[in-house]
Amino acid sequence: MSLTDLIYLSQKSLRSNILRSVLTSLGIIIGVSSVITMISIGSGARQEVEEQIERFGSNNLILRSQSSSNRGVSMGANSINTLTLKDMEALKNELPAISAIAPRVSLSTQIIANGNNWLATVTGTTNDYFNLGNWKFELGRSFQDDELDSGSRVAIIGKTVQKNLFGTDSPIDEVIRINKVPFTVIGLLDAKGGTAWADLDDTIVVPLKTAKQRLVAKKFPGDQIRSMTINVSSSDLLFKTEKDIDTVMRKLHKISANGNPDFVIRNYAQFLNARQESSRVMSILLATVAGISLIVGGIGIMNIMLVTVTERTKEIGVCMSVGAKKRDILLQFLIESLMISLIGGLIGIGLGLGVIFGVSEYFNWKMSLDYFSLVLSFVFSSSIGIIFGFYPARKAANLNPIDALRYE
Amino acid sequence: MIKIDSISKEYVMGDNKLLALNNVNVSILNGEFVSIMGSSGSGKSTLMNIIGCLDVPSSGDYFFKDENISNFNANKLAELRNREIGFIFQNFNLLPRLNALENVVLPLLYSGKNQKERNNLALKALENVGLKDRIHHRPNQLSGGQQQRVSIARAIAGSPKLILADEPTGALDSKTSIEIMKILNDLNAKGITVVLVTHEDDIAKYASRIIKMKDGQIIEDKKNVPN
Repeated sequence: MSLTDLIYLSQKSLRSNILRSVLTSLGIIIGVSSVITMISIGSGARQEVEEQIERFGSNNLILRSQSSSNRGVSMGANSINTLTLKDMEALKNELPAISAIAPRVSLSTQIIANGNNWLATVTGTTNDYFNLGNWKFELGRSFQDDELDSGSRVAIIGKTVQKNLFGTDSPIDEVIRINKVPFTVIGLLDAKGGTAWADLDDTIVVPLKTAKQRLVAKKFPGDQIRSMTINVSSSDLLFKTEKDIDTVMRKLHKISANGNPDFVIRNYAQFLNARQESSRVMSILLATVAGISLIVGGIGIMNIMLVTVTERTKEIGVCMSVGAKKRDILLQFLIESLMISLIGGLIGIGLGLGVIFGVSEYFNWKMSLDYFSLVLSFVFSSSIGIIFGFYPARKAANLNPIDALRYE
Repeated sequence: MIKIDSISKEYVMGDNKLLALNNVNVSILNGEFVSIMGSSGSGKSTLMNIIGCLDVPSSGDYFFKDENISNFNANKLAELRNREIGFIFQNFNLLPRLNALENVVLPLLYSGKNQKERNNLALKALENVGLKDRIHHRPNQLSGGQQQRVSIARAIAGSPKLILADEPTGALDSKTSIEIMKILNDLNAKGITVVLVTHEDDIAKYASRIIKMKDGQIIEDKKNVPN
């Protein structure tokens, strides 16, 4: 008896009781859709973390001045810039785990060039900023030492700024006016894309000294800076260094161990870990649901197949009387349970894709669908059909022809 | 064609042993039309099931076409049934989900014939029993007589040498019964051996030989001139 004949007979009997067949495969449907959702949540989170590291650089801590409270009254985020270049030098000297620090001052201001104008964030910093932030150059170059030292009016711009001021034309050697001060563009940064909260490419970078002298002299007087990106030589030292920085900064700023600090350290790795952890918890939850419903689904299939075998005992007898061998009967029922579970698997895949699509649209979660999970679902559901269908099928195949035929 | 050599069949029901067949000897020749008669419990169905390889004897030997098949396993018996024997049952035993054609094709599926061949054979068998215009009807859309004719078509589709009919007219009215018996007569005339189990004298008289059984033994075995 050929496979197509077996499939034909199986679908006939499954279709004779469609509702029952679908209800039987419900466990598989839920199980498979959970498996698919679980895997894509997991791999989506992993991908997102990798992308974030790609964007922001790895092993970075951000040290930023914080509005200190004055007799209980918050002074606002930018009220006092408590960080200085002296702090930066001190941290570099005291903590050997720190491999580089990029200081930063910033302002949001009007840019005019080429007859267009655009509001962008201008950052004053050093070349370390590009290395630590994983910035690549599409065109041009980074700052030269003499430009940094002398406070030259040179600027490096991001893709969004280029697009809005120059369209697709090369911005190199063009003059842009930042806060009415003319700057020559020497570099164009590669696109990084946006995050949920900011367009990273909407940026202009100028030498720290230039920014402090010409753009933010009032906002950041003396050697005050807004923040620094601190790169730690290895990820194992990240958390220890975070604590050390806290200690050193408290000493420098004369703040007691339990006093309110005038700075804040942001550990980006921590955020990523939390993100990964929460998706891991979600995955475990879904894996549990998947596991339980696949097993329950399998038992459901076994149960219904046992009922089916009993109901069709007489038919089995008839088939045997016209020459069906044990193997024919066994295969017939195995294929029936396999079909139930595969149909459940297919519906489950559909449902899983729906959930993935819905979640990623609705919650803006990154979910990535990999084909591995589809293959896995197929393997899962078909093996459940075979494993749980085997006992009923064998029971049918081992019936004595005359007993089966006489069964009423 | 068939030689039953001192066959006994014993059923154990709890503490009771029931001797359904007690040392039965009988031979059936090629081309014979034999009726087996007897009241219920006489052992006629048991004998029929053993002849049809649906059941195995407790002791004794069964020769089918000179081959001793007493020691055949389930699969070899299934092959033998498929190739050599066609069954007709009192309650037709058609599969309700399949139409007439598919029901007739069923034994041919198990013999591994290709689709074209088995459709041709099944159509020919249905034509032989006069049901060519009903091939796509399901059993529940057919009358009792038509259902029994489908089951005859199923029995003959694989061109077996032996047809076993277990009370084939038991569920039919007398007019339809006559039609069915005529078909069996025609088949026998074409050289197929027919063994019929019945308790009705009128039906038994279609056969050329009548065997009467009682308490697991043959009590009478005589020639009959069909009317």
